[in-house]
Amino acid sequence: MKFFRRHLWAVLYSVLLAAFTVYISLDTFVISRVYAEAPQADTSYENAEAEESGEAEGTSGESDSSSGRKKHKKKSGVSEEEETETVADSSYNDGGISITLTEYREYDTAIYVADIVLSSAEYLKTAFAQNAYGRNVTAITSEIAEDAGAILAINGDYYGARQQGYVIRNGVLYRDTAASDQEDLVIYDDGTFGIISEEESAAQALLEDGAVQVLSFGPALVVDGAISVSEGDEVGKAKASNPRTAIGVIDDLHYVFVVSDGRTEESEGLSLSELAEFMEGLDVQTAYNLDGGGSSTLYFNGEVINQPTTNGKKIGERSVSDIVCIGY
Amino acid sequence: MKTGLVYLCISLLCAWFGAMYEQFSHGVFSYYMIYSFAFPLAGGALPFFLLSFRGGRTPGRLPLHFYHSGVATLTVGSIFQGVLEIYGTTNPLTRVYWIVGWSFVLCGIVGFVIGRRRKFAVSKKKEKAADASRHENREV
Repeated sequence: MKFFRRHLWAVLYSVLLAAFTVYISLDTFVISRVYAEAPQADTSYENAEAEESGEAEGTSGESDSSSGRKKHKKKSGVSEEEETETVADSSYNDGGISITLTEYREYDTAIYVADIVLSSAEYLKTAFAQNAYGRNVTAITSEIAEDAGAILAINGDYYGARQQGYVIRNGVLYRDTAASDQEDLVIYDDGTFGIISEEESAAQALLEDGAVQVLSFGPALVVDGAISVSEGDEVGKAKASNPRTAIGVIDDLHYVFVVSDGRTEESEGLSLSELAEFMEGLDVQTAYNLDGGGSSTLYFNGEVINQPTTNGKKIGERSVSDIVCIGY
Repeated sequence: MKTGLVYLCISLLCAWFGAMYEQFSHGVFSYYMIYSFAFPLAGGALPFFLLSFRGGRTPGRLPLHFYHSGVATLTVGSIFQGVLEIYGTTNPLTRVYWIVGWSFVLCGIVGFVIGRRRKFAVSKKKEKAADASRHENREV
């Protein structure tokens, strides 16, 4: 009792400090807060048709019994004609979207490249976990991709982990708080890419300039066909070899999604400069680094292609806030 | 001396924890995590060892409470900020650690200085009184 009375201040303050730390931990990592619901995307040709003809039922795709994969059809208004699609384990082509997957082995690392050619910039999209914008609103990449009816998807910038940095998705501005020293990838409505600094460009102005997506992670890997990161420039955290996710544009409506495995004996992982060198080798004009580590996931036609891992011991997808995807 | 030793142990614990955390963070590091041991070392072990070696009096109870609480808050805040940086996230509430921590440290230091001045003033008064009585005795 005497001891307790003597150390009353220390005991009470320790309890207070511990309680605050628990609260702030829950606030950062656990407590889910939805700030806005994303507008529902019209993902299927059938939906529009069904609505027009008064049918109540609508699905995002029909099942192909021979391959067990979903069939994706063109959005109404883009093309009235339904094209025959060719689907294989590593490729997809329906006339509007062409995807070819290739696996590379460089820098002691497994690197997966999805080469994408689109007939319209509208097919390059993003989607939120649970179709909602918020903090700690997460789901695994494959689940978000399935909900969005995506053919191909990679993890996005995990905007929910930060409280600053622009968030513009599918033409809607969700967050306009600029972060210092933050360079973003802007995807415009014509499908072109741009790299901007948040300190120099306002989110609203970007939207007015035709920005459809703004991804706030970085850094930019390749700008105007030249590598924009070097080993000397890299901060300590970027030197480490890790799983990585990157997006790049080669030509008009010709893109690449790149995901590398890492943190395992089979695949070491890439540093930022190695990733930039690899992207430059793919002849990209602009390339941008997205959230990596345990988040790095490549999804294609109902399957996860790479080996996502957080600690190298267990292979499994990490829940993320958002994805970048290809779909109707 | 005892307080200085406790702070030294806490510093070593923080350094060990930071090193272990960095070991498992896949090359991602944070200065807040690496140098979290600096708060109990520079803010705790060093000043209390100095006070002990110079034979100075330790501050009164209330300034001590404030000072210890401040150093503890800054140390926990530094570790927590390190965890967030390594994970790649932020939380504006982490500011509370720095504001409260530095305020308490400042209160502790100010309380210590005021306490010392008061004691100094009291002892001066006593000395003067003693001198005066000695003078009176000599005159008698």
